[in-house]
Amino acid sequence: MVGTAAINKSPDLAKGVFACNWIPSPTTTPNSHLKMLQLKSILNVVDNSGAIWAECIRVLHGGKYARIGDEIVVVVNKAKSNAVAAASGIPKVKKGDVRHALVVRARKETLRPDGRYIRFDDNACVLLNKQGEPLGTRVLGTVAGELRQKRWMKLLSLAPKVI
Amino acid sequence: MQIEICAFSGAKIYPGKGKIFVRVDNRSFRFVNGKAESLFLQRKNPRKIHWTVLFRRMHKKGISEEVAKKRTRRTVKHQRAVVGASWEAIRAKRNQKPEVRAAARAAAVRDGKDKKKADEAQKKSEKAKSANSAARGQPKFSKQGAKGAKVAIANTSR
Repeated sequence: MVGTAAINKSPDLAKGVFACNWIPSPTTTPNSHLKMLQLKSILNVVDNSGAIWAECIRVLHGGKYARIGDEIVVVVNKAKSNAVAAASGIPKVKKGDVRHALVVRARKETLRPDGRYIRFDDNACVLLNKQGEPLGTRVLGTVAGELRQKRWMKLLSLAPKVI
Repeated sequence: MQIEICAFSGAKIYPGKGKIFVRVDNRSFRFVNGKAESLFLQRKNPRKIHWTVLFRRMHKKGISEEVAKKRTRRTVKHQRAVVGASWEAIRAKRNQKPEVRAAARAAAVRDGKDKKKADEAQKKSEKAKSANSAARGQPKFSKQGAKGAKVAIANTSR
């Protein structure tokens, strides 16, 4: 670890480039960037549906692994209290609910057509309803531009930032 | 073509190279290669890694070479003919000795003086001639006489 005194003095670093932003979460295990999403993978739920964490129980395209833009079936592992969810006017999502979800960020790097790779700091999904539309009305945090190729335009318009 | 800069090493990232890393706080970082990415994820300070652009700039590495390469533009004097004068004429004039120039000036002054004198002499003689001829040809008139006044009879005796 670099000396903290030096970090505090340097103007660039003071902006938070190297600031520790570690959020203890099961979705960012030490080696999770080596793997794609599969059975038992745990994802952050980044919409206002009320769910917080969800566990993958099936990958829907028939393969073994899911990547950004793939649909999966999840079971909600942790959800906000019902009062919060009810206030946002969205059907309640409880712990133990089984839902479809769309992967919007992945720690496993993805190859872009231009040869670059993109990789995120966490695995994240948004929940979908039975018609395959987003359950929530907001998306939190950046989503990958790969969704554009898969025609998830509604999600892209909801997202604050697309990379 | 867009060339990006590596967030850790400061190296140029050409199209088709590199990796984008998006952190939890939605900030994205571009890395030129795995080495830079790895060091970034280890939270190393690029100011302390000797091969990064930040370190090299801080410690003034590789700057002397750049200074040597830079050269100031100097204006070059070029001599050539202008509209009315050929280059030979200009050069001959420029190479004249001061005595020669002074002599030429003196000669020019003398010539001018001579000419003026000659002109004046000629004018004088002409005037005299014309005056004589006028006196000879016509009777003397006063201006009043010309207008019809009584002409005074010239005295023949005192």
